[in-house]
Amino acid sequence: MLTLNKRYRIAVAWAQDTNTIGAIDKAVKKGFVDAILIGKSSEIRKTCKIQGIDEKRFTLIESDNEIHASSEAVRLAKAGEADIVMKGLVGTDKFLRAVMDKEKGLMLPNAVLSYVGAMEIPAYNKLLFITDPAVIPFPDLDQKVSMARYAIEMARRFGVKKPRVALIGASEKMSRHFNSSVDYSIMCKMADRNEIKDCIMDGPLDIFLACDKKSIEIKGVETPVNGEADILLFPSLESSNPFYKGIMLFANGELAGLVRGTEKPVIVMSRSESEKSKYFCIALSCLMA
Amino acid sequence: MVLKNMNDLKRLVEGGPRKKLILAAAQDQHSLGAVIRAWKDNIIEPILVGDKDGIQNICTLNNYDITGVRIIHESDPEMSVEIAVKMVSSKQADILMKGKIGSATLLKCVLNKEWGLRTGNLLSHFALFEVETYPKVIAVTDVAMNIAPTLQDKIAIVNNSVACLNRLGYKIPKVAVLGAVEMVNENMKATLDAALLSKMNQRDQIKNCIIDGPLAFDNAVSLESAQLKGIKSEVAGDTDLLLMPDIEVGNVLYKSLVFFAKAKVASIILGALVPIVLTSRSDSEQAKFDSILLAAAACK
Repeated sequence: MLTLNKRYRIAVAWAQDTNTIGAIDKAVKKGFVDAILIGKSSEIRKTCKIQGIDEKRFTLIESDNEIHASSEAVRLAKAGEADIVMKGLVGTDKFLRAVMDKEKGLMLPNAVLSYVGAMEIPAYNKLLFITDPAVIPFPDLDQKVSMARYAIEMARRFGVKKPRVALIGASEKMSRHFNSSVDYSIMCKMADRNEIKDCIMDGPLDIFLACDKKSIEIKGVETPVNGEADILLFPSLESSNPFYKGIMLFANGELAGLVRGTEKPVIVMSRSESEKSKYFCIALSCLMA
Repeated sequence: MVLKNMNDLKRLVEGGPRKKLILAAAQDQHSLGAVIRAWKDNIIEPILVGDKDGIQNICTLNNYDITGVRIIHESDPEMSVEIAVKMVSSKQADILMKGKIGSATLLKCVLNKEWGLRTGNLLSHFALFEVETYPKVIAVTDVAMNIAPTLQDKIAIVNNSVACLNRLGYKIPKVAVLGAVEMVNENMKATLDAALLSKMNQRDQIKNCIIDGPLAFDNAVSLESAQLKGIKSEVAGDTDLLLMPDIEVGNVLYKSLVFFAKAKVASIILGALVPIVLTSRSDSEQAKFDSILLAAAACK
């Protein structure tokens, strides 16, 4: 569906595990990626050998610990020698510390660091973008606004000109006892007044009203999102994270995701994720680079 | 239906059943003058509670003929308010009006827990302005009663006002929530409340009206200035009711309209068992008369 016209250089921090190397190899073979693998060269070579992957397709940079490997990957991106940074077998907190380093890191000035995922769900007729299932535990209003903007930007890259953004709550009512419904009401007004652009926004909405037209008829709620949400914005990590994991586990969903707020795309995924989802993430980051 | 001016308001109540209006501490020239005029125009049937000699002196001086008007003598102003309020709470009158007594004293009686006029609703002030430069009357709330309304208070104030406008014949009045700007700004609480009120209206949590806000004053009353700013709003330029962020903004707007724009104004207190005419003692007889018209129209 989407074509990538150039080869993107990906620097992978602590790239020693099978799933990461496998996904990278697939992307290199497809021809849209050049990979720089940072880690213990001996381990990387060993993994390649076991998997039957030709290590000569990659540039290897020797590193003896995960913190160094992370900052080296970030340095390459900062110096313009890499277009994308990817987390390998390193822990997320150590990796993000390198990304967020005030002097040497990749954060855009005053930007909010957040995560947008694109989900393919067999029971839904299009891609569903979700935010933030990975980084911000309890986003405040400003963070929610940034999350919305990042997700809108990503959906637009996928060709959705005016994505429908559903701000997810437990009910569609505004209640001052639910902080998220207060923030959502304010965000809708910001969208009305074009402070948040290029979208059709409504919330609070529950997931049924966001993604199912029948529920709208039954409940009689007028909403411009109209049961056709492209983006779900969640009130907390605790609601979004189980959502995507539940969809993956019970509804055969696939997730590809990306950290936003950085100068260059940063791929962060759980170390346990499959080669297939890591490959999707690589493709997604090339699209956003 | 919208009201273009105070004459439309008068037409609305003319010919209808006469409302019983009780004037507390009736020995006040402007109040008495307005009440007698409304009585002669067949809009109300007055009951005067107050000092009989004082009332008759004013009538003699001004050539008012009050033959047939019921007078309840009570020389103490505070007692006369108590009598009037008790008569209203026992359903003997449709409108309460303040005469020669302080607003605080009257409101204290209205809020009396045993025999007052409480309904559980917040009391709020509702003013209707006729300004030459706007094509219809514009309602403004709250310019006199609630000092710094919370979100919950604002909801109650809107509900009071919308119910009143509904009775004046406005099926779906357009409500502008006023701010200094039309954008949401976290540092301006009025703009945040405005966004919440808009959403509650969309979700039918505030009914029978269309709410938009924040709108700056110019966007609220002028379609041209809303369009210049690129605001898409059903309310902008066509506002029926302006909701003030607080009493300081409201009071200054009210007085600016009266002094600089030579506005005609009618005002009542809503949220009690009956509409209360509580104009300032310094208000003109005309303003008091128009307020009586408004109260009569606002009766259930």
